[in-house]
Amino acid sequence: MTGRALYASYGRVRLAATVFAVATLRALAPCPVHAQEGPRPVVVASKPFAESYLLAEVFAQLLEAHDYPVDRRPGLGTTELVLQALRAGDIDVYPEYTGTGLAAVLGETAEGGSAVVFRRVSDEFEARWGVHWLPPLGFENTYAIAMRRSLADSLGVRTLSGLAALAGRLTGGFSPDFIGRADGLDGLAATYGIEFRDTHSLLQAVKYQALAEGEVDVIDGYSTDGAISRYDLAVLADDRGFFPPYDAAPLVGSAFYEEFPGAVVVLARMAGRIDEAAVRRANERVEVEGASIADAARELLGAVGLGEPADASDPGRARDVAVQRRNDRLLASLPVHMWENRMALSRQVARHLLLVLVSLGAAILVALPAGVALERRRGLAESAIRVAGLLQTIPGIALLAFMIPLFGIGVAPAVVALFLYSLLPVLRNTYTGIIEAAPDAVAAGRALGMTEGQLLRRIRLPLAAPIIMAGVRTAAVINVGTATLGAFVGAGGLGDPIVAGLTLSDPVLILSGAVSAAVLALLVDWGLARAEAGVAPRGVAESTL
Amino acid sequence: MALIKIEGAEKRYGDAVALDGVSLRVGAGECVALVGESGSGKTTLLRTINRLTALDRGRVVVRGETVDEVDPVALRRSIGYVQQDGGLIPHWTCLANAALVPELLGHPDAERRGRRALGTAGLDPHVFAARYPRELSGGQRQRVAIARAMAADPDILLMDEPFGALDAITRHEAQEAFMALRSSARVTAVFVTHDLGEALRVATRVAVMRAGRIVIEAPAAEVAGKATGYAAELLARSGVSA
Repeated sequence: MTGRALYASYGRVRLAATVFAVATLRALAPCPVHAQEGPRPVVVASKPFAESYLLAEVFAQLLEAHDYPVDRRPGLGTTELVLQALRAGDIDVYPEYTGTGLAAVLGETAEGGSAVVFRRVSDEFEARWGVHWLPPLGFENTYAIAMRRSLADSLGVRTLSGLAALAGRLTGGFSPDFIGRADGLDGLAATYGIEFRDTHSLLQAVKYQALAEGEVDVIDGYSTDGAISRYDLAVLADDRGFFPPYDAAPLVGSAFYEEFPGAVVVLARMAGRIDEAAVRRANERVEVEGASIADAARELLGAVGLGEPADASDPGRARDVAVQRRNDRLLASLPVHMWENRMALSRQVARHLLLVLVSLGAAILVALPAGVALERRRGLAESAIRVAGLLQTIPGIALLAFMIPLFGIGVAPAVVALFLYSLLPVLRNTYTGIIEAAPDAVAAGRALGMTEGQLLRRIRLPLAAPIIMAGVRTAAVINVGTATLGAFVGAGGLGDPIVAGLTLSDPVLILSGAVSAAVLALLVDWGLARAEAGVAPRGVAESTL
Repeated sequence: MALIKIEGAEKRYGDAVALDGVSLRVGAGECVALVGESGSGKTTLLRTINRLTALDRGRVVVRGETVDEVDPVALRRSIGYVQQDGGLIPHWTCLANAALVPELLGHPDAERRGRRALGTAGLDPHVFAARYPRELSGGQRQRVAIARAMAADPDILLMDEPFGALDAITRHEAQEAFMALRSSARVTAVFVTHDLGEALRVATRVAVMRAGRIVIEAPAAEVAGKATGYAAELLARSGVSA
């Protein structure tokens, strides 16, 4: 059945809801991996950018072609996080670049060429963590400082040294991590004396567009980016050898290395066979023509003689068809995409719910007793609620950033940030609910000999329950939305497809996460509204909330 | 012997003097009305009897014991209390409200006592037991509040403006019902009102308060004769001719 037919027969919303329900059920079912008979699947992961997805998919397809079952974890997170997962044995293999290993992980600078750097990272990674670099694939993806060809020609700039003299008149647009890294913008300034008039932090997805439209003059790209040829850009030569060699290679964990010698051989067989032209073409297929990662990976394997040869069709026509397909995908194939990725989506939904429930539960455990206690310290209540309110005005992404130095990356910083966000609604509603719970009845109860505990349990809490539940509901809905930001700190959840989609400029991927999060928010809201009605005590006029 | 004895009671709230050396004795079977305007200290005085308000100086003795030396919760359960707005627990039925104190005291027949109290307060338990407070009229609610105060057969009943929120006709009926109940239950009552006319109709003895002091204290029948100045003014305002 085609995407269009499915769309027509079910309707987008209903299908999405069905997909969601199935995904939830599967997410709640016991983990199938451990229940499975036979060998465990090889866990193949990637970092969240197009080429990393592509190479991970190449690894996965190659392994599957040799009958190794594969569990895909695309876009798992930053270098730090993925490496951590590899060391812990949570994943088995992911594509990495020697220069990243050297500069970003080991914090060293390159002294020597590709071979020297490769030897250095192989020795050091194995000695420190038992992690193995398999032989490089055969291409380098180094940083490419690029300009519009027309501007470079008119200024006569060919090299980074040449850029230094003119940078004071130009505007740069760089990835946030390039700006922040010592081997990024700061290093360029130190090595070449390049200081731009102005610098913008731009996501990969919009950088090329901004350059093409003249919003910025210089960007950091990758030498294998399909967009470099697509937008006709001039790549400036690194004439002082500032950037280390960035040879791509599979990085494998120690358990995998010992457990799957055959699979290691399969991956090692790629050594030197994937050239830069093939990778750039595959990147272009994904980033410019909108081909799926799976298709582009299959074509890449075919082109380098590791898989079925690809059809030799007219590339111009293929591009038109691809763009057309991408538009069709937007309209019709979201439900299909969600269905096809239901396993990954269900994992993300489960993780998302975990983030929301754990943070919300902790917030209730803290804010509910605090709200009750504040009833007797009303002077303090005002300031406590103001502090909780202040926490909520911190933008989500900033709050997450504050959490990283304290809690590292992964689930912990996201849960703590969501916990802080949940405090205000629960605290404020508990306090309000308790002080507004029939004060005359409380006074009469006390006068007739009810203890403070009895007043709380039998009058205040039952009457405040719907208001407290309304606060929990508000917090839960805010959390479902905010938890999508967890993807930025490696917490997983439905933010993963959103971030991946932003990286790949893939609206269907973005929507698969965003629609799921929206449906989840609606369901949580609906469920808690029912709970709110359920806890409303009899005999009291219906809640006005 | 006085069932309730208040001696030299003083109470301040910040700079405001609520009680300025008040002494009062209430004998068994009496019904004493504390009369005065807002801020005269009458409610504060009432609340010292079941220790809802602690005194700065002076003492309150109930049934021969100083209230500061007994468990306040046990003291309050032994004394009936009715407040102006009724203060019924909104998510409890009339019966649950009426049976509150017997239930707190752990009486196994709390429900039967609650039903009986509803009947004594003039509400048919078959009709009203299962109703919620918001389904009742103001007068009916106040009767449930009185039933709740009396359900454990206390020997003392305190009431703070018990009829204050009712319209004139309902108010009159409620006063009649209360007087009937009081004579049958032989309860000692102290109640607060700003209405001297009501005090004279319902109470056996009246204490007129002003600025934290008792300015007149006399049997109800004699107050009108003694009324001069402030008391006469209150009487005139209440529509009772001096």
